[in-house]
Amino acid sequence: MNKPMTSYERVMNRLEGKPVDKIPNMNLVMAFAAKQVDISYKTFCTDYKRLVESKLVSAEVFGIDTVSAISDPMREAAGFGAKVILPDNDVPYCEENLIADLSMIKQLKVIDPLSSERMLDRVRAIELFKSQVKGKIPIIGWVEGVLAEAADLRGVSELMMDLMLEPNAMIELFEILYEQQKAFAKVQVDAGADFIGIGNAVASLIGPELYGQFCLEYEQRIIKDIHAMGAKVKLHICGNTEPILGLLARTDADIFDVDHVVDFSKAIQAFHGTKTVANGNLDPVSEIMSATEGEVVEAVKKRILVADERTMISGGCEIPRSTPKENMVRMNQELYL
Amino acid sequence: MNETLTSINELMQKGNMAEVVRLSQVAIDEGSTSTDILNALLSGMSVVGVKFKNNEVFVPEVLMAARAMNGGLDVIKPLLEAEGVESIGKVVIGTVQGDLHDIGKNLVSMMMVGAGFEVIDLGVNVTPEKYVNALIESKAQLICMYALLTTTMVNMKKVIEALEESGLRDTVKVMIGGAPVTEKFAIEIGADKYAKDASSAADEARKLIAV
Repeated sequence: MNKPMTSYERVMNRLEGKPVDKIPNMNLVMAFAAKQVDISYKTFCTDYKRLVESKLVSAEVFGIDTVSAISDPMREAAGFGAKVILPDNDVPYCEENLIADLSMIKQLKVIDPLSSERMLDRVRAIELFKSQVKGKIPIIGWVEGVLAEAADLRGVSELMMDLMLEPNAMIELFEILYEQQKAFAKVQVDAGADFIGIGNAVASLIGPELYGQFCLEYEQRIIKDIHAMGAKVKLHICGNTEPILGLLARTDADIFDVDHVVDFSKAIQAFHGTKTVANGNLDPVSEIMSATEGEVVEAVKKRILVADERTMISGGCEIPRSTPKENMVRMNQELYL
Repeated sequence: MNETLTSINELMQKGNMAEVVRLSQVAIDEGSTSTDILNALLSGMSVVGVKFKNNEVFVPEVLMAARAMNGGLDVIKPLLEAEGVESIGKVVIGTVQGDLHDIGKNLVSMMMVGAGFEVIDLGVNVTPEKYVNALIESKAQLICMYALLTTTMVNMKKVIEALEESGLRDTVKVMIGGAPVTEKFAIEIGADKYAKDASSAADEARKLIAV
């Protein structure tokens, strides 16, 4: 009898279209993971040991084939000096935009990620993962995408207007954010990350014209950098990315997370012949959290039906905290081939 | 629609606030009524709404168009008030308690204004009490609730319960939306309508209060 594949072998084989025993389960868990080990969201975001514990438990119990250092988008913002509020049981946020007006861009400084408490905490998480998983599960570090980080510091609505009204200031800002992103990715790869996830959710709010003008080049640059560092890239843009699929196919990301509002078969097709593998795209609420086990099975089958030999399966975005455990177990069972 | 009004309509769609403001004054000077100018602005926003729904324009373009529309509305506001022109209905809108996301709520708000509604925007992290008080004060026909998180969407139900407890539930329609929200969830919590996007929200609002 063949020895079962490790998650690492499964994910890496699937990326290359080689045989696997199970389609990799790439579910993204944060609040759900914290719940499994009964910790507050604040603890999850501030104590790397508990975060690691929660992700390892999630991997073991629910068959998730990666462990990831993702918790919230405000680690780099804290590093830049934003006042980040850490609610007991909610996602950290900035009370005030650090870049209240565009003249403040010049005051932003790229910092050593290891000098920032919140960024260092993520690096420590990766080091601990590395010592725990012993090469059997891929470790995913995380950085904010340039556009997402700009939104964290400036506010979403303000950023959207700035793209139209102040393009030169935006480029000036993005260059600083890119340098910070690269520095943060580097220390995570050095700490043992096999992948760097790039979270750029806000990019689904802009169309192909602005994505081409402001985002594509930065995605390509950081992805090339991360590849040169020796890691792979998982690009996460939740929301409706269907209008920019053609551009995303040019990013050279290894994995792209496809949200549930996107036609999965179109995404798979858009990435044919490129390096990028489509991962997705069950609706985390209606097809996983609120669904019956039978509905979960149907939703997974629907994705497998359109999958190619490299496609991976997960919720289109984060698995909600109150998702029934049984649904997650059932979803994983259904991924075995 | 004369040449100036046509230009207002087109430039508003392109988000050219300065020109919309200038031409709104020109239109007044040429003798257009405030209602004529209002209709030029609203029909422009309606086109933007349709394009947004069809993925022909995106959030930045919608925000620019809304900014231009608001610039024009500011010019004609004194005239609208003097002429007693009324909105087609009042809407109270907010992101529910515990949720600080505002972009979706803002888009709905803009589309509602563009559809001719008076919008009372309560902002983000809105408690059930605040919704109830705003309803009492404004006598709005519709409450719109927005949530982006699965952890906060449950607070929509608390608002409906607060409306029931205060005896106001039968006086107002309730519409909900946001990424994790579904039609099934709307039915479960007793909302009247689920809107899947900002443009649909404005269309559904018109139907809900039978404009």
